[in-house]
Amino acid sequence: MKSWKPGDSFIWLSGGALALALLMVFGLIALVVVNGASFFWPRDVEQFQLNDGRVVLGEITAREKIPQPNASHAPATHRIQIKRGNRDLYGTDFIWLNETDIQNTTAPRNALVIERVEWGNFYGIFQRLEIGGQTVSNDWKFVRARLARARKLTAQIHTVSRKDIGAINRAQERLRRELKRSESAELRADYAALQAQYQEQLATLASLRGQLTDVLVVSAAGHPEVRIPLADVVRMNHPNAMTAWRKCCFYAEKLWEFVSAEPRESNTEGGVFPAIYGTVLLVLLMSLIVTPLGVLAALYLREYARQGPIISAVRIAVNNLAGVPSIVYGVFGVAFFIYLGGGTIDQAFFSDRLPTPTFGTGGLLWASLTLALLTLPVVIVATEEGLAAIPPSTRAGALALGATKFETTWRVVLPAVTPAVLTGLILAMARAAGEVAPLMITGVVKLAPALPLDGVFPYLHLDRKFMHLGFHIYDVGFQSPNVDAARPMVYTTTILLLAVVLAFNLTAISIRARLRKKYSSTHL
Amino acid sequence: MATSKERSFRARRLFLDRLAHGVVSTSGFLIIASILAILFVIAAQVLPLLRRPTAQREPTLSSSVESPVLRTGSGEYRELFYSVTRSGVSIHRAADNTALPTGRDMDWGGATVTAVSQGLGDTFVLGLSDGRIVPATVSFSARFADGQRIVHADRVYQEAFREMGVTSIAIIAHAPTPRGQLIAIPTGPRSLRILNIEETETLLGDVSRELFRRDVEVEVKGAITALAVGHHGDLIIVGTSSGEIAEINLQDNDRTPRQSPPIRAERDARAITALGFLLGDRTLVVGTASGQVSTWQLLARDGAASLVKMHDFEPQRGSISAIAASPRNKGFVTASDEGDLYVRYGTTGRTLLKRSADEALAAVAFAPKGDGLVAGSPSGNLHRWTLNNPHPEITWKSLFGKVWYEGYNAPAYVWQSSGGTDEFEPKFSLTPLVFGTLKGTFYALLFAIPIALLGALYASQFMHPALKNLIKPVVELMAALPSVVLGFIAGIWLAPLMAQHMPALLLMPFVIAAVILAAVWAWHRAPVAARSRVRAGGELFLLAPAVLFGGWLSLQLGQAAESGLLSGDFRQWLLATFGLTFDQRNSMVVGFAMGFAVVPIIFTIAEDALAGVPPHLKAGALSLGATPWQTAVRVVLPTASPGIFSAIMIGFGRAVGETMIVLMATGNTPIMDASIFNGFRALSANIAVELPEAPEGGTLYRVLFLAALLLLAMTFVANTLAEWVRLHLRRRYQVL
Repeated sequence: MKSWKPGDSFIWLSGGALALALLMVFGLIALVVVNGASFFWPRDVEQFQLNDGRVVLGEITAREKIPQPNASHAPATHRIQIKRGNRDLYGTDFIWLNETDIQNTTAPRNALVIERVEWGNFYGIFQRLEIGGQTVSNDWKFVRARLARARKLTAQIHTVSRKDIGAINRAQERLRRELKRSESAELRADYAALQAQYQEQLATLASLRGQLTDVLVVSAAGHPEVRIPLADVVRMNHPNAMTAWRKCCFYAEKLWEFVSAEPRESNTEGGVFPAIYGTVLLVLLMSLIVTPLGVLAALYLREYARQGPIISAVRIAVNNLAGVPSIVYGVFGVAFFIYLGGGTIDQAFFSDRLPTPTFGTGGLLWASLTLALLTLPVVIVATEEGLAAIPPSTRAGALALGATKFETTWRVVLPAVTPAVLTGLILAMARAAGEVAPLMITGVVKLAPALPLDGVFPYLHLDRKFMHLGFHIYDVGFQSPNVDAARPMVYTTTILLLAVVLAFNLTAISIRARLRKKYSSTHL
Repeated sequence: MATSKERSFRARRLFLDRLAHGVVSTSGFLIIASILAILFVIAAQVLPLLRRPTAQREPTLSSSVESPVLRTGSGEYRELFYSVTRSGVSIHRAADNTALPTGRDMDWGGATVTAVSQGLGDTFVLGLSDGRIVPATVSFSARFADGQRIVHADRVYQEAFREMGVTSIAIIAHAPTPRGQLIAIPTGPRSLRILNIEETETLLGDVSRELFRRDVEVEVKGAITALAVGHHGDLIIVGTSSGEIAEINLQDNDRTPRQSPPIRAERDARAITALGFLLGDRTLVVGTASGQVSTWQLLARDGAASLVKMHDFEPQRGSISAIAASPRNKGFVTASDEGDLYVRYGTTGRTLLKRSADEALAAVAFAPKGDGLVAGSPSGNLHRWTLNNPHPEITWKSLFGKVWYEGYNAPAYVWQSSGGTDEFEPKFSLTPLVFGTLKGTFYALLFAIPIALLGALYASQFMHPALKNLIKPVVELMAALPSVVLGFIAGIWLAPLMAQHMPALLLMPFVIAAVILAAVWAWHRAPVAARSRVRAGGELFLLAPAVLFGGWLSLQLGQAAESGLLSGDFRQWLLATFGLTFDQRNSMVVGFAMGFAVVPIIFTIAEDALAGVPPHLKAGALSLGATPWQTAVRVVLPTASPGIFSAIMIGFGRAVGETMIVLMATGNTPIMDASIFNGFRALSANIAVELPEAPEGGTLYRVLFLAALLLLAMTFVANTLAEWVRLHLRRRYQVL
């Protein structure tokens, strides 16, 4: 290599630009993974003794330099952000402490962290357990056993109130609509029977609730006796006394809760299961719609239509549609699918429910149709590229052997193009999984009361609103009343979404790479 | 010879073939047609915005007794109408053109109604020829029986009272105040009596009335010819026979009313014949004897409130006899004594509709839902129209130009689609949104183009192909990152961080470039043996630490610069030196985040174009002694320039339509400020935020569709241009 050439430094500069771009990608992924993955790890709970006599118990969540605009030469001081929980007692979850105000820091082994159904975490010291107003035990093992019992009862209550009573309510609602159409004594009697069942279930609920009399008595700084019903406790731990193995178990448990449980506390706690479910269902429905449409359109464009300036123009237009902003597709979905299509369906089939719209409002069907339209150009273009890559000799061979055009297409061309279709489809799925803007106006909600696919006839509820991982990120990160507390949750959701999207894309890239190799060898 | 079996087999095959041909062709055609129809569906939603309003004449209601109509109005369903004539309030049923029996009549004592003032809803104050004042109300109620709507009207006269020294009332005006009502009547050519009636409810539920009287001398030329009370009784507007208008401020109850200097409404100085306020009592409508109509508002100028003209409307024939404001929006209707009826809109200054009643008109009113007009004539007839006027506030000018809104000192571009009250004036200027979209796009491209193009140049010209095959998928992955993730990181993580390290960020491009140059210098001093082991493009791995180090160094330098040069606080310094404010979620954050989304797109397309330059061109340049950089910049880059243009256009299209990033990383305030330290609101984010709230078919709904159409047009033009250039380029490469 010769030494200095004029312009070498420019080459290096341009390389620097590329390096910067790559660093940004990896930096972003690392940022999300580090912030998200550490969320479930049980951190030590520390007790801070302040100079003014106050005591703060909590986890350190951040540390930053205190800005000092006027005294720039003074030694830098820092402050730390503590998550001290107990929102019901102190009003906020977080507190900032100046490091200079802290006298000493200890990590008490008996510091207790209670995850509650409401009001976020509780940080404090265990005192005793009361059942029905009587102090029964200070034995921690017994308390844990009672907690397991309380969790079981709560799950039963959940089942009764959601499933059983829900079924009765649905049946009643159906009867009410029938009664509105035509009055009949038989229906009235049915209705009354349902009402009796409903009362019965209410009694069951009451008796179940009656068994939940355990109250945990704990203490926190400034509050010597805080009473927490055991029914409100999700889990409790002494993080400072946990072994590494216990911490790993805890991590796994939390992770499992995250992917399998429903959200709590306006989505800032609990899991994101409904959002995962909604995203997967949406992408699957979209794929079912977009694949046949995309393949048919591509076959028409490449195999059946007479090539000419019009088809070229159409091809340019289809290519262009891939660049049309997603929000525009959403707007189209609102006008065409929801108000025109949904409105018509409501008039025709659900007129007894009007003016409450059934299909005339955002829902799973309309969102997936909108996304299908949005990703249609992707599939068409990928399939067309695949079709163009099949050597004409392959088709000519089939035709020369006497096959009709349909047979050639069906038996020879389609199998050959399948990997390309698959690539397009996977890219479309990746795009659909990450797309949020059009969903915001076609049916995604922050909290859906029911899953769009469940055990209730007709099982797949295309008219229901649904939750979505991407929208979950937007909603929890930006619309949440308690952004500080919700932030780690958003990072974790982001990891999930990124993992899904990147997995789709990597699959598509690898399939495409294999395809290219295959075709380049057949060409030779 | 083919057997029959073979023949039928062949027939079936041929049939299948034809069937498939038909199915594929029609469905393929339909699919493509339907996705192209997106444009038309959206346009169809926008089109009604541009439609002119229409009015349909309905049968005239004529009364048997010829008595001039002083005021008129209708019930909510336009089945019942009322008119105020000399003999009081009467109610008419439209279906059979009959006068309905009404409640208890009052003792007129031979007097007739000579002046009427109409307040909110259907409350009136009547002035009689004997100087008495009678408050009155008409109320409508509807009930449903057997699926039929039965509308009932009720008229109530309240207790009359007489004013000392007032003999006959020709002009009267009133308005409800928080505690009662305020009535104004002229007692002479330039003197006014102001009656403030305060109603208090006693513990027993009785209403006791207290009356405060004030006499005011008005300093104007000519005699008072018209009056209007506005702002909950806070002010009175006086119109005179010399064409002057003046405001009398009653805000301070204890002090003597203050009068603004009179202003001549029109150049011809004809008498003011009608005054009225638009919904919300902020805009004043002035009508003159020469048929001129204008709107005015009170603005604080030079410390004092004065009346300022906002719009001159198209003049009418004859003299303006009545003005009525729409109860739904900022529209109004003016009637003239030549029988013309003009429907106008206050915000836009436009006359929407002209109708004629073929006889002089003295009174006019909108139906309560704004879907009808009724006008009364001196001969006692009630002329009626149904009105279809769904989007009166939209004109090309109100969408894209400067509009003078109520409460604004000057015409402005404003987007504010909804407010807290019914009296809110919607402001649908798309200009700040288009500006926001272009601003965001500009900063995104400013960040993305250098990085993407330099990166593409490097990858295509100076990198080993094996390494390039590794790098390209990574960049494609970058393109696949969901924008909601980028927006979240930008809004939650990057924005606060950037706000802390602003000076460092401004230094960063230069520092990183300097560090890279230093690295080059050091590299060339490294032993040849070490250098030759790195293959082309391997510099990248050396560059990554250099870039990281540059970033770190600029953070340090930035902090030093902030505390040393900018007195420790960048924001203070910015405000003091340039007068610029600083938002945390600003355009720089968006530029970074959206640039991040655009870099891979520009990179991929530009790289393809650069790599596609025929190798013999490069070989030729190199063999003539050009250095690799000279070859790249002087030969490869110009040849591929159309491809690079196309890459930038595609990147532009992506940035224009990007929604989640601008939604999350800007403050979404629709301001027009090019400063990089402020946020903006983009068309796309605006649609995402407002469409779920917009009622179907409403003006906001249609304007949002127009915004979508604009986005579609912008991206379509950019993409088509890019595609055309790209095809052109491919042909050129084939020739070369």
